[in-house]
Amino acid sequence: MNDRANEIAAIVSKHRERHGALLSILEAVQRTNEHNYLPKQELVMVAKELGVPLSQIYSVVTFYAFFNLKAQGEHVITVCRGTACHTRGSKPLLDNVLHMLGIELDEDGMATTPDYRFTVHTVACFGQCALAPVIAIDEVIHSMVTEEKLATMIEALSARKEGA
Amino acid sequence: MDRKMITLSVDGKTVTVPEGTRILDACNVAGIKVPSLCYLEDVSAHGSCGICVVEIDGYKRLVRSCLHTVKQDMVIHTHSNRVMSARKLNLELLLANHPLLCTTCERNLNCELQALALQLGVRESRFERTKKSIRPIDDSSPSIVRDPNACILCNRCVEVCANVQEVHAIEMMQRGLRTTVSTFFDEGLASSVCTNCGQCSLVCPTGAITEKSHESAVFDAIADPNLVVLVQTAPAIRVGLGEAMGLGEGSLVTGKMVSALRTLGFDRVFDTQFSADLTIMEESHELIQRLTNGGTLPMITSCSPGWIKFIETFYPDQLEHLSSCKSPQQMFGSIAKTYYAEQAGIDPRNIRVVSIMPCTAKKFEAGRSEIDSAFSYWRDKGSFTDDEYFCDVDYVLTTRELARMLKRIGIDFAHLEDGKFDDPLGQSTGSAVLFGATGGVMEAALRTAYETITKTKLDALEFEQIRIGAGIREATIMIGETPLKVAVANTLANARVLLDQIQEGKSPYAFIEVMTCPDGCLGGGGQPIPTNKEIRRKRAMSIYEEDRGMPIRKSHENPSIQELYTSFLKQPLGHLSHQLLHTTYVKRGAYPE
Repeated sequence: MNDRANEIAAIVSKHRERHGALLSILEAVQRTNEHNYLPKQELVMVAKELGVPLSQIYSVVTFYAFFNLKAQGEHVITVCRGTACHTRGSKPLLDNVLHMLGIELDEDGMATTPDYRFTVHTVACFGQCALAPVIAIDEVIHSMVTEEKLATMIEALSARKEGA
Repeated sequence: MDRKMITLSVDGKTVTVPEGTRILDACNVAGIKVPSLCYLEDVSAHGSCGICVVEIDGYKRLVRSCLHTVKQDMVIHTHSNRVMSARKLNLELLLANHPLLCTTCERNLNCELQALALQLGVRESRFERTKKSIRPIDDSSPSIVRDPNACILCNRCVEVCANVQEVHAIEMMQRGLRTTVSTFFDEGLASSVCTNCGQCSLVCPTGAITEKSHESAVFDAIADPNLVVLVQTAPAIRVGLGEAMGLGEGSLVTGKMVSALRTLGFDRVFDTQFSADLTIMEESHELIQRLTNGGTLPMITSCSPGWIKFIETFYPDQLEHLSSCKSPQQMFGSIAKTYYAEQAGIDPRNIRVVSIMPCTAKKFEAGRSEIDSAFSYWRDKGSFTDDEYFCDVDYVLTTRELARMLKRIGIDFAHLEDGKFDDPLGQSTGSAVLFGATGGVMEAALRTAYETITKTKLDALEFEQIRIGAGIREATIMIGETPLKVAVANTLANARVLLDQIQEGKSPYAFIEVMTCPDGCLGGGGQPIPTNKEIRRKRAMSIYEEDRGMPIRKSHENPSIQELYTSFLKQPLGHLSHQLLHTTYVKRGAYPE
């Protein structure tokens, strides 16, 4: 943890003088975190280094959907649950992927496998309704996804070595 | 300070106001009170409620009058049909997500949302609730209870915490439908930097923020025939309680308050002002000792528990500046359960001490673990064992809680005859009543320190330059030939200024008084709602009036205090004083380790 504390101190001092430094700092801290999220103790470190109230840090982190407060898997699967995708079967797709990975969505609509290989979450709409149903895997958007297509892609990712 | 004047028309009436005046305030000048659920003078201008909209000629949209300032020749309409239906619509939208549980709400009949629904003629709830989840109530704090479900997200509490107190315990979290006021990781106020000052409860327009109630526990104690229940009343109650009982702003109701407490069933009606005099004895001697023995200066007062938690949290390296004196509330508790118990022949285990305080932080203070000296006194004598532990102060009621209890038993407060406090812990001086206003502890201490140091009589008792006024006031007081530089601060944001000065080694003062709340305890977080600048000023005037009318106006001349020293404590700062009247502080820090 000590190394991580030094790393965070370095991130803070790199951005400190810039206007609106907090967002850049939080982004860098999340990016350099092993599981791509902002754990409580790392937020405390940032607040302390920067001299910002803890309440303010938490306000910013909970406002932006970009910030994660839970550990993320190596691969992130984003299932669109907008109206168009719904009418073209996004619910069975979601159920399927959760079933394949053996996980269930929490109250925030997110689930991560215990080995941190996969995170599944939903969004309201990608704005790609003509291509519904739409699923993003590691920020690459796949259109007109079928159960077979999805299963193949996940199997391919599972077969890959961790970190590869 | 010559500001340009702006002339404009409000509902056809011409008004002239200084440049920079908010439209809402200009309407006030024209005799129209534009309603708002979020705007609060000197506290919050957030524009979140959308109730204060007005129509302006030449403007396409309605304008939130709390956010915009006047312009020359503006033509404003405050109650056109368009304005009135927009206000009603915005209110109905707020009501859609507000639990309509008015009859069981603490703020029933004193709720801005409820009052506005009545005022604007909202008779039905047309909209369905959009918020999906019920949020947990935060009752982690010993002082404050937050119910996010009753919150209308007006932002007043966030702003008073951040700007008036510079504490930042709470913030707006999440966004959209999930937006809520909360603490870091929703851990609750108790684990936050909250100082328990309760200013948030004072500005909340609804029942979302209230004090943690001790009302039932006090009714139970009174009903228990085996207990002797003593009540003590803080100075600021006598200038606040009347308002909550339907009398005018700042009414001075000392005698009625005493009668009401007796009617409620307390066995003895005593006064925190007695122990305020005692505080002055100890604190002025501590100051003299620090001045003559090269102790840490400036010395800072320690009566205000919000301030104590503030310095422990944000300036833990400066605790040696704090006077070691307990607050008057705690001094009362330890004297009541030792000296008074012995004198009256009552087993201290059967005594319950109830405080009436203008303050929510006093509830926290009463539970501080380092304060248990009456019990240690008896244990050291071999009277009791550890498992018979009792604390010095058992229950703390705010002014608001007391008013509710009095209403519950149906007391006709306005027509009560004046009662008198019981002896000996009910006797006090003009100095003691000053504790209720900012600068009062300083003034009281100076009256006693002056006469103790110079051994001559002080004739000019009233130190006008440190009385209610700016957030920070300073003065140089001549104690004989020696100048004593002092400062007085109210609100924690102002306290920060003086602490930063100390931190930089630039503090020119020997003695500083800090009060947590605006204008001191009379503006405390447990006082009646509403409390605003004008009401605070009226309460202060009553405090000064009470001081002027007291037969004895210096703490060291209080005969009951003199008797307490003669027969029990022996001398200020003596061995027993240290055990019973002084305390220690905790280094907390603003960030968890």
